[in-house]
Amino acid sequence: MKKKLLSLILGTALAVSALTGCGGSTEAVTSEGSQTVAGKAETSDTSEAGASDSDTESASSGDKVTLTVLAGQSTTDAGIEDMIDEALAEKYPNITLEWECVGWDGEFHPKMQQYLQTGVPDIIIGKGQDVATYQSLGILKDIDSTYTDRVLDAANENVTFDGKIYGLVYNALYQGVYYNRTMFKENGWEIPKTQDDLQAIIDDCHNKGITPFASHMVDTWSIGNVTMQFMMNDVFNKNPSWGDDFRAGKVSFSDDNDAKTCYQYNKLIYDNTFPETFSLEQTDCDAKMVTGEAAMKVSGSWSIQNFLDIDESFDFGVFPFPNQTGDSKLIFEPNIAVMTSAETKNQDAVNCVLDVLTSDQDLAVEIYDYTKTASMIKGVSPTYPNPSQSDIDKYAAEGMVVDVNLGNNQLVWGGFQDENAADIAAYLQGDESFEQCLAASDARVGASSSSTE
Amino acid sequence: MGMERKKKSGMDRKMEIQYLMIVIPGFIIFTIGLIIPTLMAFRYSLTSWDGLTAEKPFVGIQNYINLLHDSNFMQAWVFTFKFTIANTIIQNVCALLLAIALDSGIKMQKAYRTVFFIPCLISSVIVGFIWLKMFSNVLPEFNEILGTNINFLLFGSSSTVLSGLLIANNWQWIGYWMLIYLAGLQSIPAELYEAAKVDGAGAFSRFLHVTIPMLAPSITICVVGITTGSLKVYDLLVSSTSGGPGRSSTSVILHTYNTAISGRQYGYGSAMSVSLVIVLLLVALIQVRSLKNREVQQ
Repeated sequence: MKKKLLSLILGTALAVSALTGCGGSTEAVTSEGSQTVAGKAETSDTSEAGASDSDTESASSGDKVTLTVLAGQSTTDAGIEDMIDEALAEKYPNITLEWECVGWDGEFHPKMQQYLQTGVPDIIIGKGQDVATYQSLGILKDIDSTYTDRVLDAANENVTFDGKIYGLVYNALYQGVYYNRTMFKENGWEIPKTQDDLQAIIDDCHNKGITPFASHMVDTWSIGNVTMQFMMNDVFNKNPSWGDDFRAGKVSFSDDNDAKTCYQYNKLIYDNTFPETFSLEQTDCDAKMVTGEAAMKVSGSWSIQNFLDIDESFDFGVFPFPNQTGDSKLIFEPNIAVMTSAETKNQDAVNCVLDVLTSDQDLAVEIYDYTKTASMIKGVSPTYPNPSQSDIDKYAAEGMVVDVNLGNNQLVWGGFQDENAADIAAYLQGDESFEQCLAASDARVGASSSSTE
Repeated sequence: MGMERKKKSGMDRKMEIQYLMIVIPGFIIFTIGLIIPTLMAFRYSLTSWDGLTAEKPFVGIQNYINLLHDSNFMQAWVFTFKFTIANTIIQNVCALLLAIALDSGIKMQKAYRTVFFIPCLISSVIVGFIWLKMFSNVLPEFNEILGTNINFLLFGSSSTVLSGLLIANNWQWIGYWMLIYLAGLQSIPAELYEAAKVDGAGAFSRFLHVTIPMLAPSITICVVGITTGSLKVYDLLVSSTSGGPGRSSTSVILHTYNTAISGRQYGYGSAMSVSLVIVLLLVALIQVRSLKNREVQQ
């Protein structure tokens, strides 16, 4: 009996080993990685953020240095590491990057959890919203103004903490309602500014047998994403510290009519989209949009790659999802954000990488054209044909663009926004009442902060 | 007499050392890879650690108390149990029936065996992706070809997602368990069937009184294997439904992962995993005891 029990304990222990093993198994890998870097590096051990040209010059003329890089990538980003390697090899041939590329959505934060136990890589590439989380842990080095001065001021705003900039925002996404421009022209639809305007287009779509919205709710993240878009224009525009007030108990999803309205917008989309939305993946959804099966899609620049891959002549534009007050702004999301370790022993070499990223305009254009994203580097413009660029420029000129990190920094994605999205999906499916869905978000208040303090 | 005992104990000691030498490597691997992580998980379950900071505040059994009031966790258990029970019944019955069919001298037995076995060689992540495409792209095409209106979008609704996952999971694993039953069937001595025939037993009676009892060890392996495997379902869900729509196909392990890793509640997630281990232990213990008793009785 004892033998049986022992064998059962050993066998079933497998279930938890996956979880706890994460922390344990990577210890050797990361520490080994760090040692490798330390061992190979023979550059000066200055740890100041000094990013002067003389520093980078000293690194460039030194012995070979290998820097570890953890890159949490979106699907659109995969492949840019080769471009960076190539550009770096040209300017600083003694510096090698040891890449570990993982998916941002599911793998980046688990990886960071592992590395936090053993020492983080020299360079961490995540999204703009990650800067708040990891800066609060004290593991990031502030980035020298030599490099941050080369990016647009708007990019620095929400990665600045206590006057220091902890993330180098490299590119940006624009979020809003992507629309089929040809279809809008043919049907005489104007860009909607109010909910009534939008409803009129939806009604006309139904009359003409057109699906108003393309959506892929099988990806719960897409529900979370659009909900934050709605929150930015209906909640955070009125109260920029709504997330902090939520934690302070001053506001709640159950009591705030604007927050309720934002959740209800999901129902508006659900009622006016493909019946198979909970079975439809993003690529298929984007294909339906391109082939004219739907008129609009609440999305972000990540759809552009698909749109143009499917049909490079597809004519589309973008407008902000109309809010209750008719003053919606286009959502701007700092995407690739380069963070550097406070513990790196190769600060000079790290600065060389930042130098390449911010000064090599050919590299920047190559990356923007590949990812179909917007530039955050001063004086650099992507050259890929982006039919929605004229709309973006128009909203930018009117000051009608808002940084979504205002919301994302207050209401964290992992454990809060993504879980709320699951409840919204359950509500749409009829598995939860609307009140239960709101109450679930309120009950999750403890997990809403991006700060670990 | 005394000398003999001394010699024996000396021999015994040598044997014991030999056995120990054989066992030690495996024991070390198990200890490092399984026992220590299990103990660590229990330790973390008594803290409110977020998985990021150095501090691991001790909270006693608060995480376990919270689990009892966590409706999402309970919902995950309900789904996991439904998935497990349905899987255990369907896979065992289908695998046994297929094994009997193949053991009956059917032509092209090897070809069928291979075809049924191939899906289990595919990663569960790929299987999830295959069936996501099947339900959303491939099968709906038949509606257009045949002019029918069958709902193939099984992953798209909380009321049908379990059925869709059962189809995917059984498609993958029935062939594997079938082979175990087939091996069991082929090891049953033909004399037993002949003796039963001589005693006037019909086909059903022979199946009930000869085949099933002789297959008892295979049944034990299959039932325990399918049950524990189903309780731990994760990878199939990740690539097919991601636990949705809503939370309708979120298993305990998926919920644990989301809570501990994405949700940065490592302590609470550890409490979930410890509770899963306890359930797995209990289920496996009960199954092994009851099924082994049957084997002994036969």
